[in-house]
Amino acid sequence: MPDYAPNLLTVIPARNEAATVGEIVRRVRAAVGGDVLVVNDASDDDTSARARQAGAVVLDLPLRLGAWGAAQTGLRYARRNRYAVALTLDADGQHHPEELPRLVSSWLASGANVAIGTFPQRLSKAKRLAWRYFHLITGIGVQDFTSGLRVYDRRAIRALAAREASLLDYQDLGVLMLLRQRGLRLAEVPTPMSQRRNGGSRVFSSWPMVMRYMLHTTVLCFAQIGTARQAARA
Amino acid sequence: MNSVQVTAAIVGVLLAGSILLLVRRTHLHGSHALWWLAVAGAILLLGVFPPVIDWVGRLTGIHYPPVIPIIIGIGMILVRLLKMDIDRSRSERQLRRLTQKLAILEQELAQLRRDKPHRLSGKGAKVIPLPKSGDG
Repeated sequence: MPDYAPNLLTVIPARNEAATVGEIVRRVRAAVGGDVLVVNDASDDDTSARARQAGAVVLDLPLRLGAWGAAQTGLRYARRNRYAVALTLDADGQHHPEELPRLVSSWLASGANVAIGTFPQRLSKAKRLAWRYFHLITGIGVQDFTSGLRVYDRRAIRALAAREASLLDYQDLGVLMLLRQRGLRLAEVPTPMSQRRNGGSRVFSSWPMVMRYMLHTTVLCFAQIGTARQAARA
Repeated sequence: MNSVQVTAAIVGVLLAGSILLLVRRTHLHGSHALWWLAVAGAILLLGVFPPVIDWVGRLTGIHYPPVIPIIIGIGMILVRLLKMDIDRSRSERQLRRLTQKLAILEQELAQLRRDKPHRLSGKGAKVIPLPKSGDG
């Protein structure tokens, strides 16, 4: 872990998280070292100032880009500044910074390009059903697609900083399919998490939203059929 | 010339005139203007010379020629809508990437200002004369 610290960037996308972001930044700095980057997704509160006070580098997006748009900004920053490893976690306190060293060492041991920290116990029945459906049509065997707790290596950072990833709306299946298309390997690391403190999931907030998400992602999956086989041949 | 022809001709002339006006006021981008001028031209042609439609009908074997302009029109509208959505996706991608780049560069500029305040403050800045155009 300490060997990685100078080359490691922790990216925290944040939108209106002034209540928790400072504490998260401090805990990340204590737990993993390295640089901490907060991408402020056009917040209305003082998320940006709190993050700076806590010692993070802050990027202020002038327009709201959503969770993935903010995370990708962080990955583009990582690529531009030649970091070897990028970690991402949410600013709302559901991911514990103290778990990051264990996530990174599991990732190193797995030899994969990307590791996703997941906590299957927190999934509702509806979500489990949704993930089983997506597993069926994509063949990606990850238990929780939407987890924002991830480790990316240099190749993954390059793949996701590219233009092709800019039209994705969520940090979920679209991102995973793009990684698979590039021939990168995924690992899943079971990680303890807590429930979100401020409000629930943005995607699974209401039935129309869920329907929209399911349709949107299904179309995305069908658009990707065959691309994995192409990548395997190349 | 019957009244239908006059109506179609008036519509075609008005449309072509409005498009020319919009192009002159730079409200309409070059390639879009070309498309709309072609549409206005087609309306003008079909309105003033309806036999063209009957001729196309004989050529394609369509027994009820009046549906030809409707079919072609709807087809063109679909193509145009598709093109618009493709363009919109492209601009959306460009806007997102520009927004990200702006945030990154803003941070770098702030960092530079902190590290070397005298270089960027403007007070000690050296004025570099620009070469006159046409030189070299």
